[in-house]
Amino acid sequence: MITKTIALVAGFSLLMAAIPAVAHHSFAAEFDANKPVTVDGKVTKIEWANPHVWFYVDAKDEAGKVINWGVEMGSPNGLMRSGWTRNSMKLGDAVTIEGSRAKDGSNHVNARSVTLVSTGQKLFAASSQGQQ
Amino acid sequence: MKIQAIAITALIACSTSLLAQWPKFREAGVPRDAAGQVQADARAPRTADGKPDLSGDWVRADRDPLPQELAGVVTARGQTTRSVAVEPPTTPFAPDATAPPLATFFDLGANISGGLPFTAWAADLKKSRMATNNKDNPDANCLPMGLTQFHMQPQPRKIVQTPTLIVILYEANYGLRYIYTDGRRLPPQGEPQPWWYGYSVGRWDGDTLVVETNNLRGAETGPFDGWLDVRGSPYSEQARFTERFRRPVFSKLEIDVTVDDAKSYTKPFTVRINQRFVADEEPIEFVCNENQQFRQRIKVD
Repeated sequence: MITKTIALVAGFSLLMAAIPAVAHHSFAAEFDANKPVTVDGKVTKIEWANPHVWFYVDAKDEAGKVINWGVEMGSPNGLMRSGWTRNSMKLGDAVTIEGSRAKDGSNHVNARSVTLVSTGQKLFAASSQGQQ
Repeated sequence: MKIQAIAITALIACSTSLLAQWPKFREAGVPRDAAGQVQADARAPRTADGKPDLSGDWVRADRDPLPQELAGVVTARGQTTRSVAVEPPTTPFAPDATAPPLATFFDLGANISGGLPFTAWAADLKKSRMATNNKDNPDANCLPMGLTQFHMQPQPRKIVQTPTLIVILYEANYGLRYIYTDGRRLPPQGEPQPWWYGYSVGRWDGDTLVVETNNLRGAETGPFDGWLDVRGSPYSEQARFTERFRRPVFSKLEIDVTVDDAKSYTKPFTVRINQRFVADEEPIEFVCNENQQFRQRIKVD
């Protein structure tokens, strides 16, 4: 039964992984698919809300100065279908984010993947960049 | 003992995670095999009055190619990956050579030879919409996104069918469509004020539900009105939509949409949108404007 449940959840992850974010905002208006960025930081704030989940991390730049980055993911429904819950990531968690940076050069990222440093677990492996 | 403790911890972690999901349920009235899998090719159900029953939860079946404006290569930490393609959460049906060209979410006319037959007015409007990266797409702004974008949006939708009224409930932007099947006629064009969803009347032609819609808010109304697809192929207040819904087997819904809009297109055209039945799954509350801030971020408001 447990195996079946896990298989079911895994199945949903595969099926629903690519829940589109651009459906709710224009990705191309805000982010640049050719401007990749990687951010290592600690979670300072989580907005588990529609139409897109946002969270914020403090990360040091090359000069050691702390910068707060805003990170966009898919919708809460889409993330939930991918196996996320609002408790999957907590304030203070160290995370590595890979994604596309805001076109205007601001510290905003559309996440392609979010990895929990403590476990290496990839919380989010589907970009919200493709249509969903 | 240690292994047992780890197993129990893992089980609790898993259970907690599952409890936080949308409640699981097993949908009644769905043909399944001994393993519980849905028998996709089983006979489509019928209502008590003998009509095909379109009720159920549906997701768009076909996959879109990655749109050019989203294509990119990401290199991070020495690993290079291409942009993720936009994949609806389902698998396509086998190609059907007899069907109208398949629509795509980004471009309704992607599979029409020569593309959509735009008039100069529509071509200019689409060009200006694309020049601003489709920031005014109603979908992106939490507004009703037009009949064809609703049909193709990857979030699920639920059809509820009664003898006199068919309702489509969309998870996307909490869309709601009424299709009257009580024998009434379409109101004259321009008589009622135009609506986001227009005015829709349905009738049965054999096993095909034919839905006609007029009195739509067109692109003349404002920047968020009259979008057929993500790239902004427009429709005008003159537009009349005819949709033919068929459920040939249990898990397949075919929707052929004809757009007749002389102001936007030099001739009417028809495209096919396929949807696949999803069992034990349903639309979830989606209050889009809860935390919509993208227009402030891109500094247009």
